[in-house]
Amino acid sequence: MPLIARLFLKTGMTWFLIALLLGVVQQIDTLLFPSISALFWHTLMLGWITQIIMGVSTWMFPGRMKVESFQNQRWSWLAYGFLNVGLIIRIISEPFISSSDWMVWKYLLAISAVIQFLGVVSYVIEIWSRVLSKKQRMKKKRAEG
Amino acid sequence: MPFISSLMIRLSLVYLMIGVSIGALMLINKAFLISPLIWFIFPIHIEFLIFGWIIQFTLGVAYWILPRFLKTKGRGNKNLARLMALFLNVGILLVAFSGYGLGSKFALAGRILETLAVGFFIYLHWNRVVTYNRG
Repeated sequence: MPLIARLFLKTGMTWFLIALLLGVVQQIDTLLFPSISALFWHTLMLGWITQIIMGVSTWMFPGRMKVESFQNQRWSWLAYGFLNVGLIIRIISEPFISSSDWMVWKYLLAISAVIQFLGVVSYVIEIWSRVLSKKQRMKKKRAEG
Repeated sequence: MPFISSLMIRLSLVYLMIGVSIGALMLINKAFLISPLIWFIFPIHIEFLIFGWIIQFTLGVAYWILPRFLKTKGRGNKNLARLMALFLNVGILLVAFSGYGLGSKFALAGRILETLAVGFFIYLHWNRVVTYNRG
């Protein structure tokens, strides 16, 4: 399994744990944590499930470059970086949106939205050309000579 | 990868892109209010990402990767697989857009189509969840 896939999977598992810890906090009434519901769902769905899908698919879908390098796997690395940095910035900034007048939190939240979006775009660029039916793959091979 | 799988996986990537674009827009709107109306697209965000992306991707990959039938080397009835993909996607669209003047009957029809798609999926895959290793 390539390093990038291992990173996706292990980071995904870490987000899974963080999501469930947030779920525990969510159930404790005395702990008032703003935006906890949104953070719980996004660490679970984006940090865990989506990241696991990304890790497994970049590893096992056909057309993977066997030689590991940033150049060969740049879209996967960008997806990994953008997705996780975006999610971390979101976790840090979102709770302060309603409780602080400091504008920096708003900018950070907007930046996190753009970064997470770029992460997904990078993943789609990486995987789109590897989603081919047998017929399409044969055609592509023939065209490549 | 069979055609149905590549179709479902690519559709799931399209849903992912649209769903995440909506999510990013809502998040920016939370930081800097562009329009309160943006919150009305929340149901599309949910439906597209849960059913369109995660569920459709999973079903598409399972259709491709689960063991094929030993005798025919195939994956079962192809027409049923096509119907599964069709029902799932029509269902997703009906549910997602039912809240925008289409009415609750469209949401009901959408959920029924999604349920039928899942029923077809189970029917197609039940006997493919096996081991051929008898050693």
